Amino acid sequence: MIYLYNILLVLVLLVPGRQVAECSPGTQSTDTSNVPEVVDVDYEELQSVIESYRGKKAVLLNVWATWCGPCVEELPYLRKLQEEYPDKLQVVLLSADLRSDRSRVAPFLKERGVDWKTYYKAGDNQRFLNQLSKQWSGALPFTKIIDRKGKVVGQWQGSASFDKFEKHVNKALEE
Amino acid sequence: MKAYRFLMVVAVLTLFVGIGWVSSGLNANEDPIEPLVIGAKAPMVDLKVRSVSGDEFSLQQIAESNGLLVMFSCNTCPYVKAWEDRYPEIYNLSIKNDIGMIALNPNEAYRNKGDGFSDMKKRAGEKKYKFPYALDRHHKLADAFGATRTPEVFLFNKNMKLVYHGAIDDNYESAENVQKPYLKNAIKNLAAGKKIDPSSTKSLGCSIKRGE
Repeated sequence: MIYLYNILLVLVLLVPGRQVAECSPGTQSTDTSNVPEVVDVDYEELQSVIESYRGKKAVLLNVWATWCGPCVEELPYLRKLQEEYPDKLQVVLLSADLRSDRSRVAPFLKERGVDWKTYYKAGDNQRFLNQLSKQWSGALPFTKIIDRKGKVVGQWQGSASFDKFEKHVNKALEE
Repeated sequence: MKAYRFLMVVAVLTLFVGIGWVSSGLNANEDPIEPLVIGAKAPMVDLKVRSVSGDEFSLQQIAESNGLLVMFSCNTCPYVKAWEDRYPEIYNLSIKNDIGMIALNPNEAYRNKGDGFSDMKKRAGEKKYKFPYALDRHHKLADAFGATRTPEVFLFNKNMKLVYHGAIDDNYESAENVQKPYLKNAIKNLAAGKKIDPSSTKSLGCSIKRGE
């Protein structure tokens, strides 16, 4: 019996700390350091955010969701680009998660090293879909890259490689 | 002299091809998938697809006297889950109006991640699907339709011409708060011989997992 107990004790101690943290209710909510701010925006408010960078930075808008596999694969690329061009590029992440998953967004981004302000799609869905881009059917992820003058230099739906992101960002930074 | 001219022509052509190649890589709109346009004939209507019942159907066989509703759907998308409880009502409305309905799962890259045939059978049983839920193997139909996401609907008339494409309605979060039941209106108007407006709408959806 003691032998069994010792084995169990060793197994418990061997469980990595990160897994324990993920399984513990409330662990994430108490640690708020570097949790990115996630702000609800309707279409007009999002446009104001993008416009605020006109003349200062190029903008990479990415519509994503926590459950969207292809979107999550892109997050490291977007983080890398933001870190490479902090003064020239602003990556604007817009979560399209269901309202019931809204609270997951900030801790999810924190775990992946995103520490800047991000956004959550609110307001009228159809208005968002119709106004954001003629080329966007609504499939996730969706990316739009805008240069400092406000010109769209690239947009696509579906996932992309780091090279594709970088190529269009470089194009936007040339202007 | 002739050799010089030939070399000049080759050089100029190479330059144009090169410019074209570079610029094509930087087009502002990079989405190559073009959906069927309103009025287009349903493609690949004789292709047989395997339903979770084990039966094989073609789109032509599913169509009823007033037309056909094709819904690209899957097991793994939260938007599908949000809209899915409205599927039975849509099916009942379709059948009542002599329009056949089929759901197709085109997620080839997710067959081992929840969108396999056995997963589909389980889902159809749990949700009590009364309509065929079939594998779109290698996303052949999704490609032919130019479908980009799940859920995404295509409604055809009795001549198998597209009359409505896009969203189920304007509110995936809440069936009670739907203000514009696009698809239901399109079904009713199709059966009544009335104009369908809007004939094309957008909707949030999960990109179809075509894979490489």
